[in-house]
Amino acid sequence: MSTVTLDISPVGRVEGDLDVRVDIKDGVVVDAWTHAELFRGLEVILRDKDAQAGLVVTPRACGICGASHLTCAAWALDTAWGTTLPRNAILARNIGQLTESLQSLPRHHYGLFMIDYTNKAYKNSRYYDEAVRRWAPYTGKHYEIGVTISGRPVEIYALFGGQWPHSSYMVPGGVMCSPTLTDVTRAWSILEHFRRNWIEPVWLGCSLERYEEIRSYDDLMAWLDEKPEHANSDLGMFWRMSEDIGLDGYGAGPERFISWGYLPHEDRYQNPTIEGRAAALISRGGIYDAAADRHFPALQAGVREDVARAWYEEPGGLHPLERLTQPTADNRTDYDGRYTWAVAVRDAEHGRLEAGALARNLVLAQPGADPWQLSDSLIYDMFRKMGGASVALRQFARMHEIPKIYREIERILRELRLQDPWYIKPTEQDGVGWGATEAIRGALCHWIDVKDGKIRNYQIVAPTTWNVGPRDNGGIRGPIETALIGTPIADVNDPVEVGHVCRSYDSCLVCTVHAHDARSGKELARFRTA
Amino acid sequence: MANLLWLQGGACSGNTMSFLNAEEPSVCDLVTDFGINILWHPSLGMELGDDLRRLLNRVIAGEIALDILVFEGTVICAPNGTGQWNRFAGRPMKEWVAELTRVANNVVAVGDCATWGGIPAMAPNPSESVGLQFLKREQGGFLGKDFRAKSGFPVINIPGCPAHPDWISQIVVAVATGRGGELALDEMQRPKTFFTSFTQTGCTRNMHFSYKVSATEFGQRKGCLFYDLGCRGPMTRSPCNRILWNRQSSKTRAGMPCLGCTEPEFPFFDLMPGTVFRTQTVMGVPRSMPTGVDKIGYIKLTTAAKAAAPRWVEDDIFV
Repeated sequence: MSTVTLDISPVGRVEGDLDVRVDIKDGVVVDAWTHAELFRGLEVILRDKDAQAGLVVTPRACGICGASHLTCAAWALDTAWGTTLPRNAILARNIGQLTESLQSLPRHHYGLFMIDYTNKAYKNSRYYDEAVRRWAPYTGKHYEIGVTISGRPVEIYALFGGQWPHSSYMVPGGVMCSPTLTDVTRAWSILEHFRRNWIEPVWLGCSLERYEEIRSYDDLMAWLDEKPEHANSDLGMFWRMSEDIGLDGYGAGPERFISWGYLPHEDRYQNPTIEGRAAALISRGGIYDAAADRHFPALQAGVREDVARAWYEEPGGLHPLERLTQPTADNRTDYDGRYTWAVAVRDAEHGRLEAGALARNLVLAQPGADPWQLSDSLIYDMFRKMGGASVALRQFARMHEIPKIYREIERILRELRLQDPWYIKPTEQDGVGWGATEAIRGALCHWIDVKDGKIRNYQIVAPTTWNVGPRDNGGIRGPIETALIGTPIADVNDPVEVGHVCRSYDSCLVCTVHAHDARSGKELARFRTA
Repeated sequence: MANLLWLQGGACSGNTMSFLNAEEPSVCDLVTDFGINILWHPSLGMELGDDLRRLLNRVIAGEIALDILVFEGTVICAPNGTGQWNRFAGRPMKEWVAELTRVANNVVAVGDCATWGGIPAMAPNPSESVGLQFLKREQGGFLGKDFRAKSGFPVINIPGCPAHPDWISQIVVAVATGRGGELALDEMQRPKTFFTSFTQTGCTRNMHFSYKVSATEFGQRKGCLFYDLGCRGPMTRSPCNRILWNRQSSKTRAGMPCLGCTEPEFPFFDLMPGTVFRTQTVMGVPRSMPTGVDKIGYIKLTTAAKAAAPRWVEDDIFV
């Protein structure tokens, strides 16, 4: 059978514009190209602006992960300026990051991911009628519950930051807010509402405590069989139907993963430095290589960007802070040449890496956690026993973060000391800074170079930059391109399977849009790209 | 029953995320209770690829009525006016916008990017971004100042970075329930019902403003953010302290200075060095005055306020 080439523009429901080309042979994807088709040039805009301009501009890089960008922007300035932070400020930043992530879990799951299970392609599944009843867009019973309740966690964000999305309440030296006891008690009540109205009755069909007893793949299977309430919960139905329609069988990806880790501990990062970050994190970072079954440290100094297949003409392999961008004058699509605004990010030692909740969970399984640090090996156990990654496991890894996020928000609400300071006024100075976090969709970081009180260079590498990049200078495919290979396509007129793979990465093209420093001036900036 | 199509240009999806925070009505209520038929939305729509292109082409051909076109994000014209730097469904987004606005009964621009150009249009505007009918304060934008939708309205501007979900959904409900004709727009084409009062209207720091008690740095439990920290609440039209954010708070209530994000000049002073979170002054008097107040009036007012201030204003009150 001959090869069919399919151009899908847009894939949709991935936040931003993602286009995909796939070659299909005998009903299976044999090659794939992912391309980003939007350029805004925020890093060009930041050049020569106030050192703090990133606090205003970068949350607007992405309306979905704005708190994550703000977190990176603030920590980058803290490391550049050498600030000191009060412990309350670290906790108040972390609660912003966590509530944004908690919001995103049901919003992405119901709004962007599960509605594909109601696609007519699955009408022969025994779960189909129930899937439509629960998850059909707008009218599905649980779609409505899940999408509506996704707004509650960011009400907590608003108590600390004023509004979500697009607050700038994290600033070098701390935070702008000074919450009161009623803010804290209200936050508790909202968190409790979220648990009693969605996590337990709809998502789990059991208590959070019962779910937290699940430590292994076998535990999860036993939990599914234990009670009808478990099997018929949205988690139970998601897992059973995913197996039924084969989503545990494709979408593997590069099998090498990166997480920057996140949540600096309030007593361990009050004098933030780039080098001191990794040891201060509650949720540890790292690189996991599945073939070797080994964990390695994740180092910002190891990040490299290749551009041979993106719309730039320059040498590859530069660290983001070293890049001198030479974009091509036009952006015609050439699948044998340049075909995207996204650059190919890789680690100097470990190559192309997948970012996201699956990566975060696999990294968390590394041994050696201190008692104050998170440790969790359920996803790692499933990954090993199921023979690697898949659409279903990647999506489950994301939703498995619910208890970890929930418990950390609870801990923060207990730890805030209302009479203590929230901000220590810093002294501005020149320097290079780096701030990182884990957005819900994966590893995010910002570099800043401040010279004469203004921004000389500002760089963002977003989780989707890792995942949706094109082939690198060595011809190695990007993670989603790799994950698409082997995907079965039942109907070339409705390639829902391509959507499953892309959406399991929770891709966000809006913040992949990535432009770079142009030390040679404005002429270059005219062609600045993603 | 009203057909709604929502598209994004040079956008961050922030207005979509804000819109999804709505309750009363939630996005689901809009569909089930108010008969809004969402033809497609980039974060929510079922269709992909060719199916979507067919849908859009049927709308353009007049086979499907388009009651409300919502646009989020800038119209990207780079490079050199071609719009190739933002392609969507196989062609420049600006071509889709040109054709869809011709058949739409109402065109709604949500957020600063779609209204005024917003952050992408900030100098040096590398993506050649414009708003639908404005670029900053200048009328025209992508569609030209004479553009009128089939309803007779120009582009309805709902600015803000992002726009509040209620500002969006209440306009949509007004149109869907046949009250669209009662919309009154100001000279910036913003619905007057939202953009006549000020961000300061309802701010919890108004007493501190009146007595000229300043929050001199972040994290304090008293004081107005206008005098030192660059707050634009007294000269920004928005209902941020009348219709609260996420049902809980607002930036100024939480201690963050208003950035003036519903006004076309946002981000103010192009974020040049020294302008971020810092009140710009000339000889000790703010460069941007509360709307309608002149320099002499300001000096009289603040001198009298200082003199009349009761002793408690120096105490922490947000405890």
